[in-house]
Amino acid sequence: MSRTDRRVAPFPAVRETPLGFLTGAALLISILTLAACGGASRNAPIPAANGLSSAAKVGQALFFDKSLSASGQQSCGTCHVPAFAFAGDPAVDHGLPIPLGGPHMDLTGFRNSPSLTYASFTPPFSIGAGGKVTGGFFRDGRSSSLAAQAMDPFVTPFEMANQNAAEVVERLRNSAATLALFSAAYGSAVLDNPDLALQDIGLAIAAFETEDPSFHLFTSKYDAWLAGKTQLTVQEQHGLALFNNPAKGNCTACHPSQPQGYSEHALFTDFTYDNVGIPRNWAIPANHANPVSPVSGVPLNYVPISPNITADAEYGYYDLGICGPFQPTASDVHARPDLTASPSLCGRFKVPTLRNIAITAPYFHNGAFVTLREVIEWYVTRDINNNVGNNPTPVAAGPSGNPYASGGTFYVAADGTPDLNQYNDLPVAFDANVNIGEVPYTPPRLAGGQAPTLTSAEIDAVVTFLCTLTDGYDPTNPAAYNVPAQCTAVASSQGSSP
Amino acid sequence: MTRTVARIGLLVTFVVGLAGPAGAVAPAPAASDDTIAVLRHQLEAVQAQLRELAQQNKELVSRQAALEQELRQQREPASPAAPALAAAPNASIPVPSAATTAPTPSASDKVRMWGYGEAYYANPTSDHTKAQADLARAVFGIGYLFDERTEFNSEFEVEHAVASASDVGEFEVEQFYVDHQVSDRVGVRAGLFLMPFGMLNEHHEPTNYYGVQRNFVETLIIPSTWREGGVGVHGNTESGIDWNFGVTTGFDLSKWNFTPEFPLYTTALDLENSDSAPLQASHQELALANAHDLSQYLSIRYSGIPGLSLGAAISTGKAVPVPAPPNAPLPDNQRVTLWEGHARWTPGGFDLSALYARGTISNLAAVNAAVPGSPNPIPSSFYGYFVQGAYNLWERNEYRLAPFVRYERYDLGASYEGTPGPAIPSGLVPLSAAPGQYGYWPRNQDRVWTAGTNFYVTPHVVLKADYQWFQVNTDFNRIDLGLGLSF
Repeated sequence: MSRTDRRVAPFPAVRETPLGFLTGAALLISILTLAACGGASRNAPIPAANGLSSAAKVGQALFFDKSLSASGQQSCGTCHVPAFAFAGDPAVDHGLPIPLGGPHMDLTGFRNSPSLTYASFTPPFSIGAGGKVTGGFFRDGRSSSLAAQAMDPFVTPFEMANQNAAEVVERLRNSAATLALFSAAYGSAVLDNPDLALQDIGLAIAAFETEDPSFHLFTSKYDAWLAGKTQLTVQEQHGLALFNNPAKGNCTACHPSQPQGYSEHALFTDFTYDNVGIPRNWAIPANHANPVSPVSGVPLNYVPISPNITADAEYGYYDLGICGPFQPTASDVHARPDLTASPSLCGRFKVPTLRNIAITAPYFHNGAFVTLREVIEWYVTRDINNNVGNNPTPVAAGPSGNPYASGGTFYVAADGTPDLNQYNDLPVAFDANVNIGEVPYTPPRLAGGQAPTLTSAEIDAVVTFLCTLTDGYDPTNPAAYNVPAQCTAVASSQGSSP
Repeated sequence: MTRTVARIGLLVTFVVGLAGPAGAVAPAPAASDDTIAVLRHQLEAVQAQLRELAQQNKELVSRQAALEQELRQQREPASPAAPALAAAPNASIPVPSAATTAPTPSASDKVRMWGYGEAYYANPTSDHTKAQADLARAVFGIGYLFDERTEFNSEFEVEHAVASASDVGEFEVEQFYVDHQVSDRVGVRAGLFLMPFGMLNEHHEPTNYYGVQRNFVETLIIPSTWREGGVGVHGNTESGIDWNFGVTTGFDLSKWNFTPEFPLYTTALDLENSDSAPLQASHQELALANAHDLSQYLSIRYSGIPGLSLGAAISTGKAVPVPAPPNAPLPDNQRVTLWEGHARWTPGGFDLSALYARGTISNLAAVNAAVPGSPNPIPSSFYGYFVQGAYNLWERNEYRLAPFVRYERYDLGASYEGTPGPAIPSGLVPLSAAPGQYGYWPRNQDRVWTAGTNFYVTPHVVLKADYQWFQVNTDFNRIDLGLGLSF
């Protein structure tokens, strides 16, 4: 195994990320420029001796400045809320699994807001030996860097909805506090070149996401346990063992519990892409024919046409992840290529970190599941009661609404009846792209087995372990730990600390 | 050039030889003056020829010296601006001293080349679809005698025929060292060298062992071909004791794979090649090896009684630790120790041998406890032994047939700290991410019977066949055929 052991650089702005490298390079260039010219208008900020660099401070202000959106109601922090590990607050946006945005805050997006914690460790996008796809930003890897990613929502019609970079800059000129910080760090002259100014905005936000410790605390109960500062309960430890066990959870195969070289810590993602055949989520308006805003009723005429969709496909719009329909912006020259012509990749999404997973519901790119228990129930029964080849007449979920408990299927059509196209968030032509080879997709079914790889009690154990990945555990005050209801719901009476 | 001079020398000897008897058999008393005159004339002619040949010989010697001088000038750095280089001893080509004008043995006389290799066919009897044929090793050795006390040896190996980024093969340097004899009984060795452990590690040519594959104990416990970089001192006594001790690079636990998703091996051949055994997974082979902590070794062998050889060796050193995050450091004082003892006795046509090897790794409790559910924790101890008997059943000219039987036991995880042991899945599991391949997760210990024969076509070319019975991983049972050679 050949792994790059990237050590944390002592220089706060140059952390172990490509972005950190970019920031560091920008700093070096700017310092040289300063030395040569006695101060230039585009000088990148010099890091403070303590805390955030001036770039990161600008980024912090930009991140939370709602006045930079067309609606005046949305900032990065609206969909990436610090209290939810910089993922969405499930209580807002009318309970939709996707955020609302646009000039009137009535336009729905397409994907569940991912947690930004640990995003700065993401490697650049690459397609390696054997077609293994790794890295890049957004759930489909279409942005080349954290900075490039941070620029996009400013000019996305159903998010912050500025027409262009010039409109962003105009709003920045009218936001006094943020402008002062920005001008102090980057100078005022750059505002006359909106495209460059938007790049600086992206760099500043990326610096904030990279430097601010709250994005990568490594202070979970699991970390405290590794450090010997606390004990995991028997149930939590059992859950970790199931997580690691290749025949049970096998979660570690894509969410490694061991460091992979991107950090000295385990990040619980290998940044690869997988197609796991997630059910279509009918709570996303774009998934319906002729979609309209659930808030205002306006037609969502910006829903893109998905690539590679055959005429006989069940639905018109599919989110196919890495192959489209969302493509890199033209200005992002280092972005991943357009993979529309690689249909075998269609349906793959980037594996997310599981750190803070208990407080970042709903789950998956389309927010199809609300609880971790439900996610694992689906994982381990996906190819048993949901599989039409295995169960030709799948039944709908019972009165409880829980397909796992009732032996029903998680795959339903818009009207709630079982969908006989099992992987119904993919055109049938791409069903073969779904990962069916690895545990826990109950592959022993093909070898004669029928039982899920995890029992109900084992699912609970895995959930309790996942609940130990939430940052902010204080061994001296464990009662203050953020334990959401879904975690307490599955903790058993055997779960007391040994 | 040397050959030309030698040929002239032979001719001179021949001519003188002819001339000698010609004079001796001359019928002196009865010969007429005419006859004597003819003979004298002939003798003078021969003497003239001899003088001519001697002159030619002298000229040739002179030309050879001139050519050597010219060659030496070509080999030495041309630029006077590089005195350091010029002064440095040339490691690969000896340069005669400037005073030397007489013919000296050429460089080619000091270079030695050798090679060995093996190809085999392994067919698991439980699943013939897994039968494999492999040019397992093709090895070429180059040695050089700097002088009668100083030599260089190296071996370059291609494993599995094709070595490239997209192939399974490897190209590796197996040995690369200088050995200097400081006295008749004591030598010093430095570089990358084979560790003096067991019977096979230093003598791993296929003609030297029974069975198509090397035995499991000297593959999985002693990670043959085990080499380290370092310095060793070796010697022997009149009573037949060979001793060897030194300081070398050690093992590296930082790359340990605690969470393999699929079985690390699914056949016996896989097991040998997968580098999954504890020391196979952690040896460094001097490839940018971490050398912060060095290991020490000692080997003693006794061969004072004809037909009997005994040996034992031990190596111990601190390993490169398993990496840990800064806020949760793990104990980093793991010590890897390996020891072995072996005996070989060859009474009459028999060849009887036995070996025991055991390894330990200390301070693993916290390391393994951090990865509960691991199917592959680091073992605290592992061991193996074998007993083997072979018999020279038939011999004619250079042909030789030597059937053998071997029983061996290996346990790659005899004990663990911080975990009850590997969480080995029961039942069928996927063998790869490709759908449809299922099998059983193999156990990391077994008892293996091997019966077969070596058939030597010459002492340097051997055909082999054997069958192996695995008592635990019965899926591993296999038929092996092999071809080996060494020269």
